[in-house]
Amino acid sequence: MLWAALLLPTGPDATPPSDDALRGLAIWALQFTPRVAVSGEAVLMEVEASARLFGGKRALRDRVVQEGADQGVRAVAWAITSLGAHALARAGIENGFKRPLDEMLDQLPMSVLTAVGPHHATLARLGCQTLGDIRRLPRGGISRRFDKDLLGALDRAYGIQPEAHAWVALPDTFEARLELMSRVEMAPALLFGARRLLLQMCGWLAARHSGTTAFTLRWSHDTMRAKNAGEGGELTIRTAAPTRNLEHLCRLLAEHLAKVELLAPVGDLTLVADDVVSLDEKSASLLPDESQAQESMQLVLERIAARLGPERVLRPLLTEDHRLEWMQMWQPIPQPLPRKTADPVDMPQPTWIRTPPLKLAMRGPRPMYQGVLLLLTGPHRVEGGWWHRIGEGEQASTGHVQRDYWVALSENAGVLWVFNERLAGDETAWYLHGMFA
Amino acid sequence: MSAVLLWAGDDDGQPAQAFAHPSKARSRRSQPGELPPEIEQAIWRGCDLGQQAGRVVSTGFIALDAELPGLGWPCQSLTEVLSPQPSVLEWRLIGPALRTVVATGGNVVVVGPPMQPHLPGLRHIGIGEKHLVWVQANAPAERLWCTEQLVKSNSCGALIAWLPQARPEQIRRLQVCAQTCEGPVFLFRPAAAQHESSAAPLRVMATFGLDWELEVHVLKRRGPTHEGLVRLESVPGGLSAVLTPRLQQPSLLISSRDPARVNASEVPTHALGGTASSHRPRRYAPIR
Repeated sequence: MLWAALLLPTGPDATPPSDDALRGLAIWALQFTPRVAVSGEAVLMEVEASARLFGGKRALRDRVVQEGADQGVRAVAWAITSLGAHALARAGIENGFKRPLDEMLDQLPMSVLTAVGPHHATLARLGCQTLGDIRRLPRGGISRRFDKDLLGALDRAYGIQPEAHAWVALPDTFEARLELMSRVEMAPALLFGARRLLLQMCGWLAARHSGTTAFTLRWSHDTMRAKNAGEGGELTIRTAAPTRNLEHLCRLLAEHLAKVELLAPVGDLTLVADDVVSLDEKSASLLPDESQAQESMQLVLERIAARLGPERVLRPLLTEDHRLEWMQMWQPIPQPLPRKTADPVDMPQPTWIRTPPLKLAMRGPRPMYQGVLLLLTGPHRVEGGWWHRIGEGEQASTGHVQRDYWVALSENAGVLWVFNERLAGDETAWYLHGMFA
Repeated sequence: MSAVLLWAGDDDGQPAQAFAHPSKARSRRSQPGELPPEIEQAIWRGCDLGQQAGRVVSTGFIALDAELPGLGWPCQSLTEVLSPQPSVLEWRLIGPALRTVVATGGNVVVVGPPMQPHLPGLRHIGIGEKHLVWVQANAPAERLWCTEQLVKSNSCGALIAWLPQARPEQIRRLQVCAQTCEGPVFLFRPAAAQHESSAAPLRVMATFGLDWELEVHVLKRRGPTHEGLVRLESVPGGLSAVLTPRLQQPSLLISSRDPARVNASEVPTHALGGTASSHRPRRYAPIR
């Protein structure tokens, strides 16, 4: 048995931590093991069976200590019994395996066991100061003079009697609340509190073997707010693929929070997991995997889209059209490509497109672009689109084009794709539409 | 005694070779003026090209490969391509290398290109719908941030960024990040940047020639300075299928064009809206 006791800090006058905090910590701890119990100001968990899954006892210990510190855990202790671990944590000793547990517990002050509390004064008058002193008293006398809880607690702490716990059950939905330590006035500073909530959510998701595709962060203003500030605000963040990667979610949230302006100082935060999807576990692999490269590509593009806006991270999509403007469309990255794609055009096509086309100056009958152009080959007639209406009502225009495309050469600007279009009457004009670069 | 047995033992591959090797070297050393091969290999001479530590992607041009250390565009480091104008020769120069990248399943990410990329044209260098991502970053800080994120993520097959206003220390930062990036990273910058120092280990200056060629000068590489220009034959965007023999050398056409003789006959009469077609009824305009 490998028990860990995670101690949350108590208030200044020994008020126990709030139920919200204990529950949040217990939910986070459920990702390591289903055997999690709350006792007093501590969360106890039994992780013997999970050590291998998390990379060995040392790696597990490091992770629990590190992530626990983010959750505000004051002390962590490890021992073979839960009460023993709890007592060691209260005494500030982390490792309960250095020496036999009896020896270590014997030297601890009496107050580390909750069951001693009611009888502390009596025992002190008897001359007891440590747990060892109590154990040296005759057992029969203790059981007659004090209640049975004291002896039972001592036996359970020393591993003589078995322990029974009421396990914490994993909730079906995730909603966690956090009261901020101080009022926050800048939105990016909310991230500090939100990170603690995200950590809990990632723990909850890990325990459910799921990932999230949408979560909401709500904040409520404190009572000193201005009247027009309202109750608070919320921010919903969506991801393309289900994930429970804490760093990724934190970065996404940071990008979005950077754009938020708070109307009043914020008192507390709530985090809700909106969409939860079961996640396929990635098996750890010795060799680098191609699909993982793809995955990280998706993550980094999502992060860029969060900062620049989704309409600025694009993927092309070919369409069945001969007009250059509608030959391809651009769609935001998260949208999947259709299964059936358009057939490629086998004609020479430029590699850069100028939108909108640039009307060229003329020298006599010949178009100019950084010098007089030499028309190489053409014309390539593109005509169509009379059926194509763009816009509604007054602004409606037609996508009809009737153009002769030419490959032109400029001495300075390279190989160009220019076209000649008829304007009103007999006038025509030349436009630069693309570059063969 | 046992050593003699090992000398003779040809069946035992390993020990026999280990003993045989020094004897060969000893026989070579007898020739005057020549170093033993194992020493010869370890010596780097100033006139040789340097070694590229990481992987390289072939440029697709034999003449250019011969001028680059490791015979290709380097991976795990930056490559700066300077050109007098943007959007004139980018895909022509690195297109053959991108074809290899895409063929091995890599993505091509372009950050802040000067114009809109046109996929039907890019298909001629093998880039398909699934392989191209366009990041529209405009401000210099955005371009740098996106480039750095993509380089750090090490997930692109090839990264192409236009950084006209990057400062030397920013390039240095990117170069440090790029050492963990498996794919080639191309930075396109204006020709004026050649006077700035840069941390990129490979810098080339590229211009285009009129006769369907690119002229490349290697400004900086691991190895001796590069003299002169490398001329690379390159016909963009599938145009090679439509070039007539007369169009193989447009420079001749341009030089033969007398500025005094500029008149209407230069524009073909069958062009839409040309002098001849304007007399025709509109609905019978020829469709080609």
